[in-house]
Amino acid sequence: MTYILQLVTAGLAVGSVYALIAIGIVLIYKCSGVVNFAQGAFVMMGAYLTFAASRLGLPPVLAVTLALVLMAGIGVLAERVVLRPMLKAPVVAVMMVTLGMLIMIRASCLAVWGPDPLAFPRIFPDGALELFGVFITYNYLTAGVLSILLSLGFLGFYRFTAVGLMQRCAADNPRAALAIGIHTSNQVSLAWAMSAGLAGVGGTLLATLNGLSLGLADIGLIAFPVIVLGGLTSLGGALVAGLLLGLLQSFTDGLLSPMIEDLLRAHTRIYSVGALQQVVPYALLVAVLLLRPQGIFGRKGSERL
Amino acid sequence: MKRAHFIVGVAVAAAVLAVTPFLDRYVAYLVTIVAISSIGALGLNLLTGLCGQISFAQAALMGIGAYTAGNLCNAGLGLFAIPLGGLAAATASVVIGLPALRLRGLYFAIATLAAQFILEYLFKILEPLTHGISGLLIRPPTVLGFAIQDDRAYARLAVALLFLVWSGIGVLRATNLGRSFLVVRENEIVARGMGIDVARTKFWAFLLSGFIAGIAGAMSGIASRLANPEAFSFALSVDYVAMIIVGGQGTLTGPLLGAAFVTLLPEAIQRIGELFNTPSILSALREFAFGMLIILFLIFEPLGLMAVVRKLRLRLTASKPGGKSPAATTEAV
Repeated sequence: MTYILQLVTAGLAVGSVYALIAIGIVLIYKCSGVVNFAQGAFVMMGAYLTFAASRLGLPPVLAVTLALVLMAGIGVLAERVVLRPMLKAPVVAVMMVTLGMLIMIRASCLAVWGPDPLAFPRIFPDGALELFGVFITYNYLTAGVLSILLSLGFLGFYRFTAVGLMQRCAADNPRAALAIGIHTSNQVSLAWAMSAGLAGVGGTLLATLNGLSLGLADIGLIAFPVIVLGGLTSLGGALVAGLLLGLLQSFTDGLLSPMIEDLLRAHTRIYSVGALQQVVPYALLVAVLLLRPQGIFGRKGSERL
Repeated sequence: MKRAHFIVGVAVAAAVLAVTPFLDRYVAYLVTIVAISSIGALGLNLLTGLCGQISFAQAALMGIGAYTAGNLCNAGLGLFAIPLGGLAAATASVVIGLPALRLRGLYFAIATLAAQFILEYLFKILEPLTHGISGLLIRPPTVLGFAIQDDRAYARLAVALLFLVWSGIGVLRATNLGRSFLVVRENEIVARGMGIDVARTKFWAFLLSGFIAGIAGAMSGIASRLANPEAFSFALSVDYVAMIIVGGQGTLTGPLLGAAFVTLLPEAIQRIGELFNTPSILSALREFAFGMLIILFLIFEPLGLMAVVRKLRLRLTASKPGGKSPAATTEAV
């Protein structure tokens, strides 16, 4: 029982970071119709920037804020310089251009910080909290709570503030938004800034859990099962789907893999299932695409085909 | 395909085949890898450029070709292993493609992304067939008692295969099937209206493109004598999509230019970078240039190198009074 709870908390902590990153992708997609493969690169770069800032001696809060602001700037830059000229290009070309950004940003980080994993500065205190016999390290606790708070705060911002309303207008019908005096291209830039900033914070949180390496960029690809599961256009869906996938991965790792391994060992010459938890999201993705392509929360017809 | 193009193709292939015995081993290696990636790019171009379905599973399909051919080669089937590798990949491609028939554009792309990761994972864990992470060692195939194990022999084999695939696609483009690919790419509803069976057309696109990918994979497995999961990763799939973008989607010869460009760029940077003598900066530089290249091409020349070539040719013929008229050159290629 305790073991199950342990799996649940670990899954929720990682899943909430997934949610945070996936929300960024959904936001960009809603606002500009771009599927951003570079989100993973934003995640990674945010973590490296936090690292660099705290190397300079800034206290953790300031370091994270500085990274957030810088990432927002990079988001705007990406939108203005790279995506703006691609407005009329086919979906596939736009996808490739974001992949190009992913490769470039990764290369820049590789050039500056090298290929080896770095020790991330301790932002949260060591130690663990005991709840019903389950130990949750402060790392996991703060990462989980912070990303859920950020996600919820973000959803609230989108739902209840004037700027959020303008964002929704611009995403829903750019022409009508223009007609009522909303500067839609600024709104698109703002969306990029916010999701790159969110991704940067997500990256910092992930780095406190898993350490800092170029591998952080791979998280951007795991976000795709999340957004498809949640429905490509639903911010709330991305949050729920992120948590679900976190749980799924944690249970696959902790329960399912050992069971399957035993089974395979008994009957075949396969001795290990490797990192099964890393492909389970994609298997789920295929199932969702076949059974319910609009995702759990997406509306039919809301997908841009 | 126009007869003139075919003749040029024959001439180029014959010339390359004729010089390979005299090539330096390193140059022969370069010829081999360019030919292999050209085959792979032609396969992807059939699906993406002609039929309009973007795929991120090209590397995984090549992997299936390589593992199949590798195992069959080791079992002593010689060069028959190559078409059989193609068949295995064609089957996999149809299995991936058919359920995805109802998906278009973005969703299809994401589905192939999932297929890429799932297959990559299977390469790692199906130890009895793939030997896991360490990879499957492939013994050189023998033809009439002679083992093919020399860089120059690989180059000849790869170029010959490339020529077969290239002319096969050239012929295909002029058939009913080839033309219906184009209609499906432009507009599926129009295709239906013209009486084209869209599902059947896509089935053939998956089948043929998978077959070609498998051949490329088989050849690359044989030439490197090894099939390992790392060689057929997602990054390679991205490389292939980049090749057809850089070369020119939907053209016959564009993928060859793109393949040469994308394959040789890292080699060129490697040569330049040896001056600096720092491996991590070097690979960063390589990646950076690659990413920037994709972005620049998509923004400034979305039709790829083929469009550049066409423009150059137009300019040349325009300045020459006796040259071909511009109208005649635009519809070529």
